[in-house]
This record gives sequence, structure tokens and C-alpha cells, in this order.
Amino acid sequence: MKRSLFVLLSLLILGSMAIAACGPATTPTAAPQTQAPAPATQAPPASTAPAQPATKTVTIGFTSSQTGSLNVESTRQYHGLQLWMDQVNKAGGVKLADGTVVTFKAQTYDDESNTDRVQQLYTKLATEDNADFLISPYSSGLAAAAAVIAQQYNKIMITTGAADDSTYQKGYTLVYQAYTPASHYLTGALDLLAKTDPSAKKIAVAYSTDSFSTSVVNALKTYATSKGYNIVLFEGYDPATTDFSALINKIQAAAPDAVMGGGHFQDGSTFAKQLFEKKIGAKFVALLVAPPEDQFSQLGDAALGVVGPSQWEPQVSFTQDSAQKAGLTWYGPTGADFTSTYKAAFNEDPTYHSAGGYAAGLILQKAIEDAGSLDTTAVAAALDKMDILTFYGHIKFDTSAANHGLQIGHEMVYVQWQKDSSGNLVKQIVWPAEGATAPLLYPIP
Amino acid sequence: MKQLKSIGLWVSLLAVVALGIGPIANRSASLRETTYIIMQVIVLAASLNILLGFTGYVSFGHIVFFGLGGYVGLYLINAQNWPLWSAALAGGLTSGLLAFLLGKAILRLRGAYFALATIGINEAVRAFTNNFDPFGGPIGMTLNFRVYNSYGGAANALWLVYYAVFAIALLAVVLNFMVKNSKFGLGLMAIREDEGAAEVMGVITPNAKTWAFVLSAILPGIVGTLFFFKNGHIEPGDAFRLDYSIEMLVIVMLGGQGSVLGPILGAAGYEGLRNFLLTSPLFKNIQLSVAGALLLVIVLFIPAGAVGWLRRRVPILRKVLA
Repeated sequence: MKRSLFVLLSLLILGSMAIAACGPATTPTAAPQTQAPAPATQAPPASTAPAQPATKTVTIGFTSSQTGSLNVESTRQYHGLQLWMDQVNKAGGVKLADGTVVTFKAQTYDDESNTDRVQQLYTKLATEDNADFLISPYSSGLAAAAAVIAQQYNKIMITTGAADDSTYQKGYTLVYQAYTPASHYLTGALDLLAKTDPSAKKIAVAYSTDSFSTSVVNALKTYATSKGYNIVLFEGYDPATTDFSALINKIQAAAPDAVMGGGHFQDGSTFAKQLFEKKIGAKFVALLVAPPEDQFSQLGDAALGVVGPSQWEPQVSFTQDSAQKAGLTWYGPTGADFTSTYKAAFNEDPTYHSAGGYAAGLILQKAIEDAGSLDTTAVAAALDKMDILTFYGHIKFDTSAANHGLQIGHEMVYVQWQKDSSGNLVKQIVWPAEGATAPLLYPIP
Repeated sequence: MKQLKSIGLWVSLLAVVALGIGPIANRSASLRETTYIIMQVIVLAASLNILLGFTGYVSFGHIVFFGLGGYVGLYLINAQNWPLWSAALAGGLTSGLLAFLLGKAILRLRGAYFALATIGINEAVRAFTNNFDPFGGPIGMTLNFRVYNSYGGAANALWLVYYAVFAIALLAVVLNFMVKNSKFGLGLMAIREDEGAAEVMGVITPNAKTWAFVLSAILPGIVGTLFFFKNGHIEPGDAFRLDYSIEMLVIVMLGGQGSVLGPILGAAGYEGLRNFLLTSPLFKNIQLSVAGALLLVIVLFIPAGAVGWLRRRVPILRKVLA
């Protein structure tokens, strides 16, 4: 018995060493083709190819978290990007200034939701796989590690799912952000509160002590103070917290008009539930990440009235008309087209992660079209000049040395769970006013 | 000097060189990144081996030295404009200092109590950095891309960091060998076998254990700085990953605790196995569970690991495998 185990184990070790020595460190995952029908209208604009054009396939390199804690969000982001790529390829690709028609292919690996792997894999993408352009992994931490490699190998990288401002303050010139920065996540909620109830001045901020949430609330605190708000409580909690009683008691003692903060889905939904159970009497609650998720409605009455920021929602309706009114160039499909083709392709509703993935591809496509070439300098110059409106929102990048690549056009939308006429919980957009689908439910019942 | 004639030392060094020379010979950046992780794991596993393999103390929180070294080094580079090499050294020395202070306190504990205490220390230091503003609190610290210009640009900086971790991996092997073949090492092994008997035999066990702890902390602190310099960003969640500590235990036990070659075989074998588990559709979602089961099998059936097993089964290799 023992002997066979020894043999088995030694074979396992030798086999794994052979794999390490001979095989590639990771197996590239070919991006499967989606079965998405091309949208009936407003497909990503692609130029019509001449009779016998030169053709070129452009490799888009990225990692996705096929395993680990970021799997769900990262997979949706990947789906969005995949849908963009299939649509633009089906529409004939992009025509460059010299008449060459380019189509796109994806080269992707699993980053395990882990920063250790990211630099290894992005180096492989940039050097061995000869990726022409890069898309970031999901999450700010992974994107920050990938950005070093992108800049080092002179590759343009569009980041999506990476909201942290600090990545764009590191002196990179080739990294461009599709998301609204973290520093703007909750400032709009404050504007909404100010417009709804100018007398509400006392704010309690309770937040998860992770990098993203701390960046958000630090910016919120600065903004709130500048607007004359009184921060009656500013306290962090461990991301793994499940019992918020002590913190909620402190909030109750501070008697705020509004409670803001949160972190990620698990802690945010638990916090919202316990806030409801304790009946603290706050008139307005705005939390990060959790409220835009559909599962948040499973909290029942505890979800009612809770506001949350989202990068994009299917109800948001940016159109050519709104682009014209804002004096911007309209680009890409409409939100309705994106939503229907995404549903058809993946049999799920798109989230803002999906829309962010699609938008990253769209941004890159527009930049290549404007540059008329695949040259990094020319495409970067086109990105620097970009000022467009898409189904995902306004896209414009900061070009200052201090914040190069930071997203300054796109704005968050704020959703609130309300009840429809049948008493079912529905997600409504309540801010910005021009995109609102319902007025704010205030104060929370 | 006599020790330099040991075949075992040269076999171990040759194994590291064989693993590490590939990227330099091919000038392959991609292979460099893959090998970097193996080199880093060799350093961490060889360092842990001093405590686990020679002294018999299981540390579940050894990654604290890697994380702390990373934080101190990056702080010195970022906020104090120190050069990388001095900052890395300072990171290593700070980790050594922490080990010295902790060693005095927790190395009085034995067995499971010590193991539990090391988890607590990792969590305590993580909580400290989470609340320590000069280290950026929960947001951590990010390096400006300009920093790499001082090292001939980012591309060159990453090669320099690779050379450094390669050299430190060789140093870790030499350190393991020297400890194993010194009077100090004999004292540690006596503690591993029977601490009470070691005391009777004249080993000043608190001192010996503390210095073993310090020695096992310095190199992880240095590679912590190198890794996060290369990464460009550090935050508590990435710096103090408990699962990374557990992986190091698996690697040392897989290769053979208490041997010099063991951590090298363990690092190469485990990293190869991990790549297989990660990309295998069957195992990719349960890779840590499989690693845990593997650890259990090793503890139960071959506590001496691959090197110990080979030495017992193939007597001719006893002189070759240190």
C-alpha cells in the first residue's frame, strides 16, 4: 500500500516537473465565438472593404479571472468584449487609412484573480503572443500590475473594471480608463441628496476597509466637506464583517440624515439588511456595489429605497439625439441593441461589467478608425482627442501629465430600489435627472 | 572551506542555475516572468526550511516577512527616494528585526500554539498596515512609472530585479547549506528532535530558535521589496496572503523539509503542479483543496518529502542530495 503511494506521488512530482520544464506556463484560451446575431441597427460602425483589400488580424490581449474571487464580474466583462469583437468582425472589420482591413482576435489567459500571475501573463501577451493592444484584467489591483507591463512594452491598454484613480497618476501615457473613477462613485449621490433635501446636512460614512471602498469614501469626505456637510461618523469595517450591530449603534447615536459607504456585495447587502432591522431613521442610504446587483432585491423590504452607483444600466438611454444636444459625436450601437444582442448571445442580462467590456472594445475601435493605423503613437493621439457619446455614456480622457488616461467624460448613474404598482421591487434610475426613470423615493419609508 | 567540496551543495546550486539561466540565455521576458515566480518561491521555501525543516517549528504566517519587507522597501523608495537595493536591504532587515522581537515572545510556544500564534501575527501586521497612513492604509502604495527610469527604464529594471532574485535564490541555498552543516544547525536539529534533550545537551534553545527565526525572515523581506517594486503596487490583501504561507509549507514538505535541495525540488514541482491544476478543467476550481490533500498525504506517508524518499530508496544518492 505504502509502496504504491510512494510510486504514485513520485510520478506526480516528476510529471509536474516535466510539465513545468517542457510545457508553456499556461494554456492560452481561445475566445469562443458567440452566437450573437449582429444588431439590426447601429452596429459598431465598420468601414466597407474594397474588392481585394489587404487584410490583417489584430490581436487583443487580456487576462480574465476564470477562477478565484473575481470570476463572476470578470466573466461578464469578458462576455462584453467578446460580443464587441464578434460584431465588429461580422460587420467586416475596420478599414485603415492605407486600405488595409483589420479584424480582431482575442488572446486570453486565466489570471486566477491574483496579482502574482498578472505580470507574468501580460509579459507573455506582449512579447510571445505579440498582442497589438491590451485590455485590462478586472479590478483595480490587477489592472495596476498589468499597466506596468503595458507601458513597458509600448502597448496601449484600455482598462475596464478598474476604477481606482491612482493607476492613472503613476505617469503612464498608454493606459486609458473606461470606468468612471472611484473618486466619483458617491459624489453624485451627495448631489442627489442636495437637490432633494437641502436641509439634510448630517452624513454618516461606514465603509469596508479595502482599497477601492477607502478611495471612494475619502473622495466623498473631501467633496462633502467642501459642500458644507457635517460628517458625523466616518468609520471603516473589515471586509469580512457579518455583524454590524456595534457600528449601527454608533450610527444611530450620531443621528445622521444620510448613511453612505459600504464595500462589496456580501458586506453591503448584510449592512443594508441590518440597517433596516435596526430602524435607525436615516432618510437616505447610498451604498457601493451591492444595490445595482439584481440579487439585492432578495433582501425584500430592506432593499427598498437603497441607492447605489452604477457605471451603466440597461434603462440608460443615450442616443444620437442626446449626442447632438451635447455637441458630441455618437458612436456604436444603442443601449437597446447592446442589451438584446447580449441577452441573445449569453442568455443573461448584461450588467455594467458587461457594458464596460464592450465599451473598452468600442473605444479601441474608434481610436484605430480615427488614427487610420495601428501605430501606438497614432492610436494614443486619437485616444487623447476622443470625445464621444456611446450607449455606455460619454468617453473623454484626461491628458494632463498628472492624471493621463483618467476617465473624465463618463458619469455614474444612481439606481434605487422602489416598488411598482404591483408591490414588486424594481430598480429605477434616480440620478442624473436627465436620465432618471423615476423620482427619488425620499425619505426611505 | 571544506564545505565547498560538498557535492550536495553544488548539485543544489546547479539545480537553481539550471532553472534560472533559461530566461537569460534566451533573453525571453515571458520565460523570465515565469521563472521569477519559481525563484521567489525557492527563496521563500528555503527560508521557511530553516525554521520548519531544521528547527521543527511550523509557521503558518511566514508570509508576514515577505509582506512587511515589501511595505518597508516600497515606502522607502516611494516616500524617501531610496534606491531599490538599499530599500530591499532595509526591507529584509526590518523583517529580521520583527522576527527577533517576535521570536523572543512566541518561540516559547511549541507545536500547535506556535503555529496559531504565527497566523495571529500575520493578521495583526495586516491590520496594522491597513490602518497605518504612511503605508497608504487600505489603499496601499503605488510607484510612479518614473521610478524605473533610474534603472535604465522599466524593461531593464525588470531584468535587474530578476538577476537580483536569482542571486538571492542562490544565496538562500548557500545559507541553508551553511546552517545545516554548522554547529548552530546541529543545535536546531537537536531542538527539532527533542527540545528538552537539546537543552540538557547544552543548546541554548531560546537563542538558537530566535536566530533561526531571524535568518528565515531576512531573505523573504528582501524579495518582498523586489516583488512589489516589480509589481508597482502594494496593498494589504496582496502583501499578507495567508494562502501563500500555506503554499510555502506544502512546497517545503513536498521537496523535503530539512534538506537543501528539497525547497528547490518542491518549488519547481509545486509550481509545475499548480500550473497543471489551474489549467485542468477537472481541478482548476479546487486547486487549493488538492494542494491540501497532497500535504496530508506527504505528512502521513513521506514526511521527509521527495529528497528524503529518494535518499532512503536510492542509497547512492545520499552523498549527492544535500
